[in-house]
Amino acid sequence: MATAPSVSCLPHNAKMSKAKKVLDEAREIQNPELDLFDKNVSTFEEMTGLLNMTYITRLTLSHNAIKSVPPGLANLSNLEIINLANNQIEELPLSLSSMPKLRILNLSINKLYSLPRGFGAFPVLEVLDLTYNNLKEDALPGNFFLMGTLRALYLGDNDFEYLPPEIKNLKNLEILGLRENDLLELPKEIGELTRLKELHLQGNRLTFLPPDLGQLDMSSNKAAFRLEGNKWIPPIADQLQLGISHLQDYLKSETYRITYNRCLTNKPEAPPPCEGKPKKTCRTR
Amino acid sequence: MMNPRDASPKIPVLGAIENSLLAQRRASKGSKDDINSSYYQYEVYDNVPLTPLNNAPLSLKQNLESPIQPSKLTWVVNLASMSRDNMLCSKCGEGFEPQEKIVNSTGQLWHQQCFVCAQCFREFADGVFYEYDGRKYCEHDFHVLFAPCCQKCGGFIIGRVIKAMNASWHAECFLCEMCKQELADTGFIKNSGRALCHECNAKVKARGLGKYICHKCHAMIDDQPLKFRGEVYHPYHFNCSTCGVELDANAREVRNRPGLAKNDTNELYCLRCHDKMGVPICGACRRPIEERVVTALGKHWHVEHFVCAKCEKPFFGHRHYEKKGLAYCETHYHQLFGNLCHHCNQVIAGDVFTALNKAWCVHHFACSVCDQKMNQKTKFYECDLKPVCKKCYEKFPKELRNRLRRQHEAAPRRAPTPVE
Ligand SMILES: [Zn+2]
Ligand SMILES: [Zn+2]
Ligand SMILES: [Zn+2]
Ligand SMILES: [Zn+2]
Ligand SMILES: [Zn+2]
Ligand SMILES: [Zn+2]
Ligand SMILES: [Zn+2]
Ligand SMILES: [Zn+2]
Repeated sequence: MATAPSVSCLPHNAKMSKAKKVLDEAREIQNPELDLFDKNVSTFEEMTGLLNMTYITRLTLSHNAIKSVPPGLANLSNLEIINLANNQIEELPLSLSSMPKLRILNLSINKLYSLPRGFGAFPVLEVLDLTYNNLKEDALPGNFFLMGTLRALYLGDNDFEYLPPEIKNLKNLEILGLRENDLLELPKEIGELTRLKELHLQGNRLTFLPPDLGQLDMSSNKAAFRLEGNKWIPPIADQLQLGISHLQDYLKSETYRITYNRCLTNKPEAPPPCEGKPKKTCRTR
Repeated sequence: MMNPRDASPKIPVLGAIENSLLAQRRASKGSKDDINSSYYQYEVYDNVPLTPLNNAPLSLKQNLESPIQPSKLTWVVNLASMSRDNMLCSKCGEGFEPQEKIVNSTGQLWHQQCFVCAQCFREFADGVFYEYDGRKYCEHDFHVLFAPCCQKCGGFIIGRVIKAMNASWHAECFLCEMCKQELADTGFIKNSGRALCHECNAKVKARGLGKYICHKCHAMIDDQPLKFRGEVYHPYHFNCSTCGVELDANAREVRNRPGLAKNDTNELYCLRCHDKMGVPICGACRRPIEERVVTALGKHWHVEHFVCAKCEKPFFGHRHYEKKGLAYCETHYHQLFGNLCHHCNQVIAGDVFTALNKAWCVHHFACSVCDQKMNQKTKFYECDLKPVCKKCYEKFPKELRNRLRRQHEAAPRRAPTPVE
């Protein structure tokens, strides 16, 4: 039976009351999971008392208009999940990276051009979603690839042209999303991510792959290696046509090792930047 | 009614049986059985009443020598040729009337009324009587007064009497105390107050020496015994079921019907034939498996050799998971092949919700953007193989949706049903 939502007695201040109501209710029942998505929130100040609710384990603020995150958010030290998807965030406080229990951080569809220095210090972070931002390789902090606990790193819809070889340090990485960046080349170190089972490379400017990729289990039923929308050299394109297991065999072959070495010294012509990307809404300041 | 005068039977004492002629004759013939020195001698004598033959003369003389053989009287009806003048009744000493019936038994003569049971003074039915200590008794009184009682059942012993262990027994009541086999014909051995058959006695003796007795030849087994169908034997009594070679203690007993407790179809093989004949070989150590066999991955394994391919700990009957010809413990299977929940990163205990190349605990499957739980009926989109609910997807930037649609033809899809 659906219960009629209690009618707000402050219809003129709907924007405030929506978030406030959730917070009041959550405080009353000590709900550790806070759903504040799509509540027209633009600043943390609007969410009175939120930063005192230290017992909460999940904070979902997606589909709001938040521009900045206060360092004090890190005081909610029981948080395991912070979801800030689809906001207007341009900058993040370093303090988040010291949150002791934070496992899942969703910052997708925001306006990040960079991450704060030292941002890779997260002690237990497992899933970091940075899809649909404006990040590129030189916008990453130096310790970014030291997040050894990371299982999933989503960097799709960003502006990476190269992936730093330090990627190999993410030993536990199972999912790497790089869909629709400007990638021209992948480091051979990607072959050292032995637990990788999902690799999203669609819509980049790649022409060849490191042979080391063939060492990964690309064709199991749990694996998803997405390679469409690149300007592959003909032998790779041909094998891809036949199927991912054919490509994997080919990448491991002696023939390809020679081809690869030739590609390294005599780079194939780079395709132009992807179309449509400049219109990304997150680029509009 | 008894006549107290001359029928008061003293409590009869059967003469020592060794003194009986029958026993002496048997003993003098020498034992026909090859009885070894530890054999305890006992006596058997017959106590079978003779059924009277039709007018048969009393020719079975030897039977009369035994005090407990019945005798048959002979009627002397017509003694016309003989003078009755000198004939006197053995009982009363009187003469006989001219036409009177005279009883003649073993050369003595009686009046018919004097030839009666010393106990009940009745004539002998069918002329059968038993003589003891100079007196004659009817069958009934003889048994009551003198026939031995069985030590076991307490009944009179008519017929064969087994005298052993300082008592009398029916043949069918004198049994080996261990195996209950009749001992009358096989002889027995006294072992700490018990009557035992040879076999049982040998077993008891061997047990005391820590040895076995062969179930076939009943001799002690000095070397290694061969166990077969639950008994122990000298190995040399058997030959290999395949090549026929005489077996030694290394022979192998093979269960023809695995899993059945009954062992009466088991067969014996020499070690060489045994190793050749499909006895399971451990997939790890390549040695035959004599004990419990684990069958997995299309191979057989010693229980302690069937181990996780990652941590190499034996499963010992715990659940294992197979993948590409290898077996893994639960922890390592999930670590390596992931039925870990994508959300909580724990092994999924209950129902598994699989979608988008991932698995979730049923209650952890949620929209990746708004974190709201979804179920089998919720329609969702995928973006980079992450589930996105319809509401969230519609809030994505329009140009992103366009690109995703172009790329994936992102039709709303139904979440698959949870799988075990
Ligand atoms: Zn009588
Ligand atoms: Zn008896
Ligand atoms: Zn016995
Ligand atoms: Zn034997
Ligand atoms: Zn073995
Ligand atoms: Zn293991
Ligand atoms: Zn879970
Ligand atoms: Zn959603």
